[in-house]
Amino acid sequence: MSLGILTSGESIAFFLLAAVALVSTYKMVTSRLITHAALFMALTFTSVAGVFLLLEAEFVAAIQILIYTGAITTMILFAIMMSGLSDIKAERKRGQLWVKSDPAIMVFGGVFAAFMCYIYYTAQLPAAAAAETLPTVKAIGTALFTKYVIPFEVASILLLIAMVGAIILTAKEAESE
Amino acid sequence: MSLPIYFPLGFSALLFGIGLWGALTRTNAVRILMFLEVMLNAVCLNLITFNRYFWSQTPEAASEATIASLFIMTVAAAEAAVGLAIILSLVRNRGTVEADKATMLKG
Repeated sequence: MSLGILTSGESIAFFLLAAVALVSTYKMVTSRLITHAALFMALTFTSVAGVFLLLEAEFVAAIQILIYTGAITTMILFAIMMSGLSDIKAERKRGQLWVKSDPAIMVFGGVFAAFMCYIYYTAQLPAAAAAETLPTVKAIGTALFTKYVIPFEVASILLLIAMVGAIILTAKEAESE
Repeated sequence: MSLPIYFPLGFSALLFGIGLWGALTRTNAVRILMFLEVMLNAVCLNLITFNRYFWSQTPEAASEATIASLFIMTVAAAEAAVGLAIILSLVRNRGTVEADKATMLKG
């Protein structure tokens, strides 16, 4: 791998975004307060949206910011705030951060990542596509409402059921109190 | 594309690995849910990368991974909604968010 690839603007931007995402995911694991973990999660998702932009998938980057950073992080933060448990008491103390069968689990994620990197590095990947086009919003919408209309409707039903289920799960307790 | 394909692939593998590590080591149920979201996001990144490099001859082909990521994000949102509702219910019934203390099924 020549040095020119590593020092191009695209690669430098990618490495910055990847470093921010990986460090903030690591901080998600190690931070004591769960609110901090949720905010680090928002940072991770924003950095991954930047990587999506580098891969020229603008639509996914926008959806990522809207759904993950906007909706899911906010929902998790609301759930943390409304659960009524004190964050510091609920969390284990610094010395007891990890569960007991720790070393095997700690190695597990690292071994998985190293294994996948090794597979990617040794795989006989085909040559990159010659005529490259970008996914347009028009093509996405057309495919979503013609070729993928059944999965689209199923996804909407899934969201409806999830919404009703969440309301039932949380409202049942309220009326019994 | 001057970016070699190994960079985003390795990045998504590392992101998935850290998410797996966190989901297996931390016992707070809300935090486990957050790591699940991170792992799903790494999978999305993998799909987008492969589509961008190998399957982008026409706009229709180039939008396939975008649609797949859209469905993944839909499922992730539904999962987060139901999961948080279950966790809130657990907090109300048992007063804990620790996943290893939810042992009602143990008998």
